[in-house]
Amino acid sequence: MTARTPLSAIALVGPVQLMVGCVIFLPALYVFWLSLNQSSFGQAATFVGLANYAKVLGDPYFWRALVNTVIVVAIVVHVELLIGLGMALFFASGVPFRPILLAVVLAPYAVSEVSAVVMWRYLFEPDVGMMSQLLGFIGLPPIEWAVNPNHGLAMVSLLSIWLHLPFSFIIIYAARLSIPDDLYEAGAIDGATGWAAFRRITLPLLMPALLIAALFRYIFAFRLFSEVWLMTGGGPARTTEVMAVYLYLEAFRYNAFGSAAATGWLLVLASLLLALVYLRGLYREMFRKNA
Amino acid sequence: MRKPSLLLLILKLLGVLAILAWSLLPIALIVMSSFKSDRDIFSLTSRFSFLPTLANYELLWSRWGDFFFGLWNSFLVTLGATVLAVAVSLLAGFAYSRHASKALQGSAFFLIFIRLIPPIVITLPLFPVVNWLGLNDTHLVLIVLYATFFVSLGTIVMRTFIDQIPRELDEAAMIDGASQFQIIRRVIFPLAAQGMLAVAVFVIVYAWNEFLFAFIFTTTKAKTAPLVVAEMIGAVEGVEWGVLFAASTVQLLPVLAFVILMQKHLVAGLTAGAVKG
Repeated sequence: MTARTPLSAIALVGPVQLMVGCVIFLPALYVFWLSLNQSSFGQAATFVGLANYAKVLGDPYFWRALVNTVIVVAIVVHVELLIGLGMALFFASGVPFRPILLAVVLAPYAVSEVSAVVMWRYLFEPDVGMMSQLLGFIGLPPIEWAVNPNHGLAMVSLLSIWLHLPFSFIIIYAARLSIPDDLYEAGAIDGATGWAAFRRITLPLLMPALLIAALFRYIFAFRLFSEVWLMTGGGPARTTEVMAVYLYLEAFRYNAFGSAAATGWLLVLASLLLALVYLRGLYREMFRKNA
Repeated sequence: MRKPSLLLLILKLLGVLAILAWSLLPIALIVMSSFKSDRDIFSLTSRFSFLPTLANYELLWSRWGDFFFGLWNSFLVTLGATVLAVAVSLLAGFAYSRHASKALQGSAFFLIFIRLIPPIVITLPLFPVVNWLGLNDTHLVLIVLYATFFVSLGTIVMRTFIDQIPRELDEAAMIDGASQFQIIRRVIFPLAAQGMLAVAVFVIVYAWNEFLFAFIFTTTKAKTAPLVVAEMIGAVEGVEWGVLFAASTVQLLPVLAFVILMQKHLVAGLTAGAVKG
């Protein structure tokens, strides 16, 4: 292992680093600077310290958006992992027409958020949608996603789970396939079958994959924008906003770049915090390998 | 043992049916309904049996010319972003696979770290800059944004695939006097096709379906198909479900067919990308 980086390697990673640096990293730093200033379109910035953060943290709409985000993320990610795990074990136990069924499970991955909203709105259209009628048939009240904020958020969660289940499923299923069969055979000799085999063999060995899937889904679910924007638009009366929608409205509707930037940095910090343990582990591994 | 196995079979069948209903029903329903007349769309009796009509597609063609223009824009943007992302990921993936140094490790870590920054955050400073550069509402801005948001994953996936190509092959080429770029072109490029396809699947699905950046950075000239469909949802309060279904179907089917065809590469890419960071 050489300590110096060859010139050709620098040239090869150059384009990727340049793109990521100029389009993501520098703008993100600039957002931090923006968050410490009072500014808007075509207006010079003035330094205001942490005033934007104070303003955002004192805004009830911000808290509403934060609580909504946390609830939706918690529901979406955990339900997704549970269904993903169940489906992975189901597939591993042997299913008929496996390749076709696998394609079926992956299908929602191809669907855009926009089309998914069309589908689920149609299914839950009050009175006439197929699911609305089904709910009525079994005696449940209809989902009034346009009127009741809880129902709106439930629809958003359902939609997100549907769209992203293929990702969680694949990560878990790939990990399940890499568990060698001998382990189960050895376990069976020791009397570990069924639930015991799941508790003692499957679950511990799937844990790393479950954690990785959870981490990625936490981080990506936290940015949730399109589903909410297209389903409820944050309404009625700003009750179903999530963090990204709040940020968008602050910046592009109310022209409050300072508080939008402060929200943006709070979003970045939340992502970093979520990923801290993972990043530390990764950092250690990468630099140990090199040493 | 006959009885429990029959029970198991029935349970499995139910499981398969549940999976089919969950994954396919929403998709099948809008594709089917796009061929229904307005009268049949919300009718109970004609849920699955109806007289198919192309009326919705004719309406889409005559009234929403914007949508087909949007499809063309989506196609151009997807093509550009895919070529750009795959090309730079191939180069960087090769470098990370074949060279190691503290600085390179640090820059690889930086690539992973960058994935934590939410796209909406960087729209704030980019919006005025893009305006100032006169790039607002152009294909270029979307191409660069889409590619950039996938080059870190792309690089990781490419490295995983290139790691599997024996180093002896590039060493042999090097002895023959080939430069780094020649090695990539003659040795790596043909052998890393699988990895490049995996990266391409990610970028194509993302760029074809993306909403947020298109919503913020385009208005008319580079407006993509999802944006036009979103406009139709906005106008749907007066209910034009049939046309909306037709548009959704046209937007969806090509990429759905593509994902099903490329299933293997998608799975390989997802696992390589997630496990390695």
